[in-house]
Amino acid sequence: MAQNISPEQSGAGGSSKHNDDSLPIKDNHAVSKRLHKELMNLMMANEKGISAFPDGENIFKWVGTIAGPINTVYSSQTYRLSLDFPNSYPYAAPVVKFLTPCFHPNVDLQGAICLDILKDKWSALYDVRTILLSIQSLLGEPNNESPLNAQAAMMWNDQNEYKKYLDAFYEKHKDT
Amino acid sequence: MCDLNELWLNVLKIFPILGGEVTFPPDPIKDEVFENVYRQMSNMGIAKTITSILDMEVESAIRNVLVPKFWKHFISEGEPHKVKHDMNIAAFTDTNALFFTFIYAIDELYDAYQCLEMIKPRLFYLNQSANSTSNLNTKITLHNALLAQLPPSFNNFVCDFYCVHFRLFTKDSTLSLNTLDSEVFTELPCSGCNVDLDQCCCQKLTEMVNATNMKLLKMGLIDRLAGSALTALIKVKIKEHINDTCVGIFDRSHLKQLETWINDVVMIWLTSIFTEWKSRDDISQEKIPKSVQAFKVKLTYFMYETFAQNVISQFFSIIIDYPDSSPAIDDLKICMEKIDMRVYLTESLRSSLEARILHPGVNTMDILTGYVAAIKAIRHLDNTGVILEIVTAPIKDYLRKRTDTVRRVVTGLTEEGPTDLSEELAKGEFIKFGKDSHLNEFSDWETWEPDPFGIDPDVLKLNSSKLIRSADIISMVVDIYGSKELFMVEYRNLMADRLLSQLDFNSEKEIRNLELLKIRFGESLLHSCEVMLKDVTDSKRINSHIHGDGNCDESPLFNISSLIISAQFWPSFNKESLQLPEELENEFKKFTKAYESYKGNRTLNWRTVTGRVNIVIEIGERILEMTVPPTQAVIIYHFQHKSEWSIEELSSLIKVPPSALRRRISFWQNHGLIAEIEPGIFALLEKESEKTQFEEVSITDADEEDLESAMASASDQREEELQVFWSYIVGMLTNLDCMPIDRIHQMLKLFASHSGGVEFTQEELKHFLQRKVREHKLLFSGGVYQLAK
Repeated sequence: MAQNISPEQSGAGGSSKHNDDSLPIKDNHAVSKRLHKELMNLMMANEKGISAFPDGENIFKWVGTIAGPINTVYSSQTYRLSLDFPNSYPYAAPVVKFLTPCFHPNVDLQGAICLDILKDKWSALYDVRTILLSIQSLLGEPNNESPLNAQAAMMWNDQNEYKKYLDAFYEKHKDT
Repeated sequence: MCDLNELWLNVLKIFPILGGEVTFPPDPIKDEVFENVYRQMSNMGIAKTITSILDMEVESAIRNVLVPKFWKHFISEGEPHKVKHDMNIAAFTDTNALFFTFIYAIDELYDAYQCLEMIKPRLFYLNQSANSTSNLNTKITLHNALLAQLPPSFNNFVCDFYCVHFRLFTKDSTLSLNTLDSEVFTELPCSGCNVDLDQCCCQKLTEMVNATNMKLLKMGLIDRLAGSALTALIKVKIKEHINDTCVGIFDRSHLKQLETWINDVVMIWLTSIFTEWKSRDDISQEKIPKSVQAFKVKLTYFMYETFAQNVISQFFSIIIDYPDSSPAIDDLKICMEKIDMRVYLTESLRSSLEARILHPGVNTMDILTGYVAAIKAIRHLDNTGVILEIVTAPIKDYLRKRTDTVRRVVTGLTEEGPTDLSEELAKGEFIKFGKDSHLNEFSDWETWEPDPFGIDPDVLKLNSSKLIRSADIISMVVDIYGSKELFMVEYRNLMADRLLSQLDFNSEKEIRNLELLKIRFGESLLHSCEVMLKDVTDSKRINSHIHGDGNCDESPLFNISSLIISAQFWPSFNKESLQLPEELENEFKKFTKAYESYKGNRTLNWRTVTGRVNIVIEIGERILEMTVPPTQAVIIYHFQHKSEWSIEELSSLIKVPPSALRRRISFWQNHGLIAEIEPGIFALLEKESEKTQFEEVSITDADEEDLESAMASASDQREEELQVFWSYIVGMLTNLDCMPIDRIHQMLKLFASHSGGVEFTQEELKHFLQRKVREHKLLFSGGVYQLAK
């Protein structure tokens, strides 16, 4: 089952793709076991502001929810994300994207996120919880050095103006 | 003219009916007169006319005179007929007015009938000479006329009459039954005629009754007029007889005796009605007429039916008496082979079980006892188990709703009790053996039996396979919940309780029980129980090692003997806590150290709430020696340094919530050591107060106090599991917005069952979600659930 979804995980990068094929099938079971365990930990921890759950019967595809961090322009917003786990998880990072449109220097309009721990800084010690927490803190502290959304990066310095634009942006995207 | 007048007079003499008279007996008439009249009539050629006139006259006489007159007796409810009889019978008459009216009416009818019958041969004679035919048939005309005008109340008369008849007839047999104490019997009225024995008029009555019956028989009226009334009467008699002889007696078979009764009493009586009266002995040798023979089949069937209904209506008592009541069940079994009573049986039994045991006023233990007895009794009746399944379904449903069922069953399994479950358990091995042979259904096809008929096939289909239906009693009981896991969990809890509360427990018995259970339920489920038992024996060893080693304190304040349990395998404890006083805690620390040095890399977590403390209290002139639970001991310990405590102070010191603390203190209040001097302030009673009378109660109290379980109850544990599910539900609804119940259920099955390995039915989930909706944690609309904002 999990083998069939691997083509969708294009974002996992070439190196993980390689891993993917070489992994024996029985490790697939280990991956889903780890995901089950992560889910359980997440459910038991019951952390405020972040949450995630498998999207359907497939444990490799999750939907996450994070609340905008308090005392930032993003507070009172709720964001949906999709998390796709490769078969080589946790040795390869999951593909995480915003489902809710997000106006942010490090998020492009398709929802792709530029976050180091999801790319080259990925480590098997991270898990769903830490990913979601990182993204949540990224909202409040963007990395304006390497923006995906240049307009947002430019506007960031004026927080009042930014907030106004943001509200208009969400008004526009309300229906989506 | 003279001739004609004379002729007419003669004709009138011969056929008085032409003058409108119906008298009996008719005047005797000389043969010459006959001859003369006939000759003259044939000469005149009026024989034919006369014949038809006569026909008509007879018919109209029957229709308009005889029958209305006959019926009039029964319609007018006025004064009873005066019968010229002697005193005794007159007394009898008063109570049996109907009876005498009937006899009188029949007498009258019979006279008229005979008179009419008389005409027949004369008419025949006349016709013979005239070559004409008469189509007169008095019998049929009479029947027709009678039935056409039958009044509704008539059956009562017939009934009454035959009732007396029956009583007279059976008098001898009842007499012979009662002769044992004939002395007493003479005081009673005669069973035949209900008057004092010395004035008994049975003989006379019998003669009257028989004569009347004879007349009816001759007129051919018995079948027509009395048939239905007779049948009804006999049915009543059979019912009465069954009620008299069988009700409440289950320990012997009745069928044989009933059949004999039908043959010897009812059938002979019937024969006597339909044939001429003879003494009883003669009849029994005589051939029974065909109509009676056919009647017998009907009556026997009716007898079986009534008897079976009787037994079924008392089936609950039969179940309760079971091993003693098996003859009654055998009887019913025979009845059921002859007649189809199954639907009736299942329905009546279901409703009686519901009325008798399935309501809140009955102990769970009693319901279980009833359930087990029902299983045994119905098995005896129907070993295919179909009836059993149908009848016991409501019991199972009901037991499932009771919270303490599992606990009771487990108690029943392990202790002596009224349910015999422990006995059944001991039989375990044998039953399992039998089951295996059942598995092989094809090999013993020769003994195959079809499912009982008369049961709705849909019910049959719903039912599980034959194999399950023939499961043994323990399985049936465990089956109430559908899973043996739940039972094993409860067994574990109960065992934990026992091990913790009875420190000197009977390990041999526990081990035996455990072995028996293992045979039945498999090793894996009972593994933790084994570990628990092993913990207990290990603890003893470790205790003696630590005490004997001498590396413990040289002069301990007190002896500690610990029960070391493996937390993984024991059920979770309830969450009570207790802070020990420092001096005591130090002792425990020493013990822990000794343990640590004995078993490297391991330590002890003390559970201070559970256990037993032997204490000696010296107060004033009193010395009390008792064994109490730790909390009580700690409370009184604190009172030795400070004799007055407020409940809040004490509560924060020993870390017991005030409400629980108050309950514990009441133990000492009962013993007259502590009193609540002001609300919330407790003080030690130094002096022996007026409360000394409580001393008598002393030590036994301590045990009663501690009957509450140290373990988290099964429902608490379930609640915890539900809490796990709840976090999952919150998780999925946060991320997936809204979902219908079946999807939630599916998701839980997929992702949440890993955590506890527990089953969660959709029904249960629905209740749970509905509760959350009531608590305003969820919204339910359009068939989907979502989180409340």
